[in-house]
Amino acid sequence: MFYWSLKTLFSEPMRLIASALAVAMSFVLVIFFSAVFEGESDQMVAYLEKMDADIWVMQKGVSNMHMASSMVWDWKVDKIARIPGVQKVKAILYLNGPVKIGGKDWFSYILGIKPEHQGAGPWAMAQGNALPGIGEAVIPEVISQLVGVKIGDEITMIDRSLRIVGLTKGTFSMASSVVFVSHHDLGDLLEGKDQYSYIMVNVEPGVSIADLIEKIKYEVDKVNVLTNDEFISSDWQLAVQMGAEIVRIMTILSTILAALIVAFTTYSLIARKRRELAIAKALGFRNRQIYGAALGQSIIITGFGLLLALFISFTVLAWLPRIIPQINLAIRLHQFIPLAVAALPVVILATLGAVRTVAKVDPMTVFRN
Amino acid sequence: MTENIIKARHLCKTFGTGVSKVQAVNDVSLEISRGEMVLIMGPSGSGKTTLMSMLGALSAPTSGEIAIDGIDIGTMTDSELAALRAQKIGFVFQTFNLLEALTVEENILMPARLTAQGLRGAKPHLEQLLQRLDLTARRKALPNTLSGGEKQRAAIARALINKPPIILADEPTGNLDSHKGQEVMMILHDIARDDHCAVLMVTHDPRVEEIADRVMWLEDGALRDRKSEQHAWVRDSVCGMRVDGWTSTISAQYRGRRFVFCSHRCLERFQQEPERYLSVDSDG
Repeated sequence: MFYWSLKTLFSEPMRLIASALAVAMSFVLVIFFSAVFEGESDQMVAYLEKMDADIWVMQKGVSNMHMASSMVWDWKVDKIARIPGVQKVKAILYLNGPVKIGGKDWFSYILGIKPEHQGAGPWAMAQGNALPGIGEAVIPEVISQLVGVKIGDEITMIDRSLRIVGLTKGTFSMASSVVFVSHHDLGDLLEGKDQYSYIMVNVEPGVSIADLIEKIKYEVDKVNVLTNDEFISSDWQLAVQMGAEIVRIMTILSTILAALIVAFTTYSLIARKRRELAIAKALGFRNRQIYGAALGQSIIITGFGLLLALFISFTVLAWLPRIIPQINLAIRLHQFIPLAVAALPVVILATLGAVRTVAKVDPMTVFRN
Repeated sequence: MTENIIKARHLCKTFGTGVSKVQAVNDVSLEISRGEMVLIMGPSGSGKTTLMSMLGALSAPTSGEIAIDGIDIGTMTDSELAALRAQKIGFVFQTFNLLEALTVEENILMPARLTAQGLRGAKPHLEQLLQRLDLTARRKALPNTLSGGEKQRAAIARALINKPPIILADEPTGNLDSHKGQEVMMILHDIARDDHCAVLMVTHDPRVEEIADRVMWLEDGALRDRKSEQHAWVRDSVCGMRVDGWTSTISAQYRGRRFVFCSHRCLERFQQEPERYLSVDSDG
């Protein structure tokens, strides 16, 4: 009967493609949410990754940048710089808050940079200066495109106006873009001109990062010291946790949608072939063999749906950020694992309706004209 | 192996209860041997199909016993009955009942999937059947590209693929014109004679009587003797074949006259252009 179910499915290729496409779209929906979420999460740690520090030093009790606040006296930067084994130190003042650009509030990582710590500034420029002076700001190019602002226009950071002097690449995120201002302006706003938020440390070649962390902890009090990987991971986990529930709900809803689509397709296929099932029963096929055929059809439709979802995700979806630059998508194979796992109950649930129909098929139907 | 491949004793089949109770088959007993071609005739609603479905292990009698090849099927489970059908019974239907997505060859081989010999074991027999039923050139064709006669020949081949001792044919010529119908009847006749199969055929076609070993008349659910003088031969006004006006149920009223036909195909032709066939002898 499995052969019959295969042939029946493939004898109507357009119907098969339409069914698989419908299943694929519900799966793509899950992938899309997951990819947007991971893309945003990636973007939220983009700054940390691009800084290429070995060690991050912050206020004691703080272990994140996202949704966090940290204040460290500026003399601690000098003290860390003098510790043997430290190759380079750079520091930023940081505020997580809204910036009004083009009349719209953009929730941002606002980073205050001093000229001597220029390395903590933008890593890729689209236009203009990378280092903002007093009264100046460097904003993401994507925001300038979205709201139509350009170099020379003004933005508002809390209570003060700043002039755009540069546009950056790779700094936009729907949840937290990166805006660079002068340390002077942000320090003035926070009443912390003699403070930093995060200190980035690079170690000399051959020096153990773990040993240096212990030294910093010993030499400098009231600080938390993390490796680059720990700090990035901690921030990424926090970002993911914030949206994990939403993604889980979307996955469940989309999986239910996929199950309904597969169920409807399998049921309609089986219902349309009632007479053929009656013939099969009359010829001597047993109910369980016909259930197997229905299950086979569900597996094929769902399998095709998954493959199509993979194809669509890595082609059509991957192109989406080129058309809509504000979308950060991270499409990864691991996102398909929950779908592949969910596909099994989808197939079984979808077959239940068809099984009921099969059981009710009366082989006596073969005698009717 | 028993000589009487089908033995039925006091078969009754009732549908519904109370005032809506219908006695479709009433105390029917019959025995059919290998190599015998038996016709069951009777008016529409007389219980022919119900009787055939019980003998084909597709529905259970309300009371009575059926033995197929010496095995009482009354105590069998659904799975055992399905296995019995696959091994012992070949079905031929009026509407052919081929599976649309499968080719002629695949349709014929379908029941072979249920046997121990499997597809590989059935292949030599398939070749014989294709040749015997003149289907070799059409083996890869899908049913929707076949003529009625080809479809019925494919259905007969499917019924024979597992070499069952019993063939049950329900109005096998009902959807064929007279020439194709004749051809199918002769094939079934040859199957009974050459393959030593018991062929039990439900039909309205009186021409089959000439080649049948026995004719049983079913009326109101009970088997009765058929009297020869009850023939009322008339001409099918479309194809000109001799038809028994007494038994035929394929008929139409036109201008107050009753016209009797050998097949539904002739009836359809008549209904399309009745004036064209008015001059031919009829039952009116």
